[in-house]
Amino acid sequence: MTGASAVEDIVKSEYAHGFTTEIESDTLPPGLDEQVVRAISQRKGEPEFMTAQRLKAYRHWLTLREPEWAAVNYPKIDFQAISYYSAPKRPEDAPKSLDEIDPVLLETYNKLGIPIEEQKALAGIAVDAVFDSVSVATTFRSTLAEAGVIFCSISEALRDYPDLVKPYLGSVVPYTDNFYACLNAAVFSDGTFVYVPKGVRCPMELSTYFRINARNTGQFERTLIVAEAGSYVSYLEGCTAPQRDENQLHAAVVELIAMDDAEIKYSTVQNWYPGDERGVGGIYNFVTKRGDCRGARSKISWTQVETGSAITWKYPSCILRGDEAVGEFYSVAVTKGRQQADTGTKMIHLGKNTRSTIVSKGISAGEGQQTYRGLVRIGRRAEGARNHTQCDSLLIGDRCSANTVPYIEVKNPSAKMEHEATTSKISDDQLFYCRSRGLTEEDAVSMIVNGFCKEVFNELPMEFAVEAQKLLSISLEGAVG
Amino acid sequence: MNAPLHSGLEHWLSAPDDTPAPDWLLEQRRAARVRVSAQPLPHSKEEAWRYTSLKGLLEQDFSAIDEPLDALQAEDLDAVLIAGLDAHRVVLVNGRFAPELSTLDALPAGVRIGGLRDWLDRDPESLRGQLDTARGESGAFFALLNTAGLDDGLVLWLERGTLLERPVELIHLSVELDEPRVAHPRHLVYLEAGAQATLIERYVSLGASLYCTNAVVEVLLGRDAVLKHERLQMESRNAFHLTSLYLVQDANSRYVGVNIGLGARWARTDLNTRFRGEQAECLLHGLYLAGDGQLLDYHLDVEHAVPNCRSEEQFKGLLTGAGRAVFDGRVLVAKHAQKSDAAMSNRNLMLSEQAEIDTKPQLEIYADDVKCSHGTTVGQIEPEMLFYLRSRGIDAARAQRMLCLGFAAEILDQLGAEAVREQVAEAVAQRLG
Repeated sequence: MTGASAVEDIVKSEYAHGFTTEIESDTLPPGLDEQVVRAISQRKGEPEFMTAQRLKAYRHWLTLREPEWAAVNYPKIDFQAISYYSAPKRPEDAPKSLDEIDPVLLETYNKLGIPIEEQKALAGIAVDAVFDSVSVATTFRSTLAEAGVIFCSISEALRDYPDLVKPYLGSVVPYTDNFYACLNAAVFSDGTFVYVPKGVRCPMELSTYFRINARNTGQFERTLIVAEAGSYVSYLEGCTAPQRDENQLHAAVVELIAMDDAEIKYSTVQNWYPGDERGVGGIYNFVTKRGDCRGARSKISWTQVETGSAITWKYPSCILRGDEAVGEFYSVAVTKGRQQADTGTKMIHLGKNTRSTIVSKGISAGEGQQTYRGLVRIGRRAEGARNHTQCDSLLIGDRCSANTVPYIEVKNPSAKMEHEATTSKISDDQLFYCRSRGLTEEDAVSMIVNGFCKEVFNELPMEFAVEAQKLLSISLEGAVG
Repeated sequence: MNAPLHSGLEHWLSAPDDTPAPDWLLEQRRAARVRVSAQPLPHSKEEAWRYTSLKGLLEQDFSAIDEPLDALQAEDLDAVLIAGLDAHRVVLVNGRFAPELSTLDALPAGVRIGGLRDWLDRDPESLRGQLDTARGESGAFFALLNTAGLDDGLVLWLERGTLLERPVELIHLSVELDEPRVAHPRHLVYLEAGAQATLIERYVSLGASLYCTNAVVEVLLGRDAVLKHERLQMESRNAFHLTSLYLVQDANSRYVGVNIGLGARWARTDLNTRFRGEQAECLLHGLYLAGDGQLLDYHLDVEHAVPNCRSEEQFKGLLTGAGRAVFDGRVLVAKHAQKSDAAMSNRNLMLSEQAEIDTKPQLEIYADDVKCSHGTTVGQIEPEMLFYLRSRGIDAARAQRMLCLGFAAEILDQLGAEAVREQVAEAVAQRLG
């Protein structure tokens, strides 16, 4: 029951979802040059402009250096040792229903507890399951099509609706943005495209399950969500990965665009393999996520529960361009074992009377290292802007660390902004109170931690909230109790 | 022989043999010069200089003062004295100790106060192992420059258990010179175990001259020592001002710092504090008022290196005109520094359209049993409050002034001597118009 033994317990807890599915992959050999970039584009049958754009990004990427400012340490990545394309075989005859899906794949999903069949009936969620890089299962397309919502893989979108995608792709995160976003722009494998037309409320929660599988394959997902004026969409992203030895690089880019009165809710549960007790083999998660509130009264809300990955480098941001736009960021991040996370958000207030809320809860256990890094910028013309930020850190064990690095830049005097941060451990008083009422130490800790995260869980769609709570309990199993 | 300095700073240092100094100090100065020459100039890509540009400073072509100045008359000082302040007075004129203006009689036993230059001349060995130690290995650019150009300053040394009741007033007076000059004053405050003192450090000028102060203050507090340290930066509005404080605290010591920033065109203050023994306490208070054309930049680096210490950082800012301020506070709790307690807060009132504030309160924590928090706000005067006062017949300008002074009072009240408190409050009120 002591802190020390507790910490050892979590460090030792094995990754519950660690297994690899044997499946034949159509994979490019490791390495990156213009040939590879062309090959990816060609294999995906992309229009000419996309190939050109990829090459432009690749050439720019060659001039960039890996960023070093984040508070994370990892061995240098050899970008030539990574294979940049991996698709499950038989891309020609993509399945039209679940019957056509490779039974081995289905089994993998079942092991993960993602029953596609059940979900169809149960939750009313359309699932675009990404197994490695190419979408292999898409459901509920017809229901969505009736509402006029386009929900498909980005490669399909580039083939079928190039004119719709072209003006938006790279407009929020340009290829010049940062090292990893640039790499992604050159080699992105697949991802999701969502388009919600004017005035449409998307009839169901959209969800994609990612799963990294083929060995030595970087995942470069690209997601683009466009919500036209007056529309609403809620998108869920969740993932888990099999146990493996090599480090895997994951450099995704997510772009959200909300027009007048539109609302996008983007939720993530991330539980990639965090590496073993020595920190070997975990996923490197270098993600660029940004939402652009282009229209007046638009709203973008990010909710994330981050429990996995060896290294997380992620700052879902909102550019509040339209007047009265609203940006939100709710985050729970857990680092244990040797996990490192440098995460936070940016709220860029440009429009008048824009509002943003940031709630960040960090839990650090074992030798976990965690940094909240956030920026709130109130531009010269952002009359009446409002921000409230709260970042709390909970420390479990004496070998972990928690840093808070908020940047606050205010150029308009009518702005109101508040920032609060606390760092503490679970207090003995709280534990004692629960224990004296007959709770076991483990239940007490679980209850206190869940209470600590409640504000964020409340923002998740119901199915996800349940999953997130379960994930948190599993993550911290044996942490103190 | 001498390593070349960066462009814009070529004349910042005079020849090193100008100052009487023992070999160990000359060596320290030389090493600092080599180190500073090898470093790039601070630039906006560096975290610590993200919001502060050196451009204006480098354009001035300041040069070090090498000639002794004509002595000032006692009357010249009258303009900058605080009426009613009873203190042991040390005056530096453009960085040089001026004994004729200082009043250092009637010092109690166990108290030694003097000019650094004289001290190095008379008793250099006593400073060995004390001078330039609090800075540690810090490679802070301007502190290194100060070491390289170390020339004169104050030494305040209290022997074990000495209680100094009257405050020590340290006046940095800058007078108009034929060309823009830079001074590198260096102060050493050493309180041995159980000693107690109050130091009022003031930066003032005669006239609206253009000059640069690049000061370093080292404070070493022995076990159970107590220092109240009030720092009033009221330089000329044309001046550039850089100060770095290095504070090292032994067990059970207590430091109370009050930093007031009103003057200068461009001012950068670095406060670095470190606990070396347990149960020590460090309180840093600050008030800054940045108006048209002013940039006031504060950096705090508070290191909880050992367990069971407490620190509190409380800075408040008023921004008027096109004033800019920067607050960058960092609290570091090292591994094993359990039961650390740190609370940082930075509150700002924006009073004009063009004002700008960049604030960055950071926590960096490597121990688990700690209580740390920080809070920041940026806001305006509540219209309801203004309305309340207006409805009682107080005009708008006066009402705003009252509310701002109320906001500032929390910090001003920390100033120990009434005379000082009144003078600062009046200066703040005047600036608010």
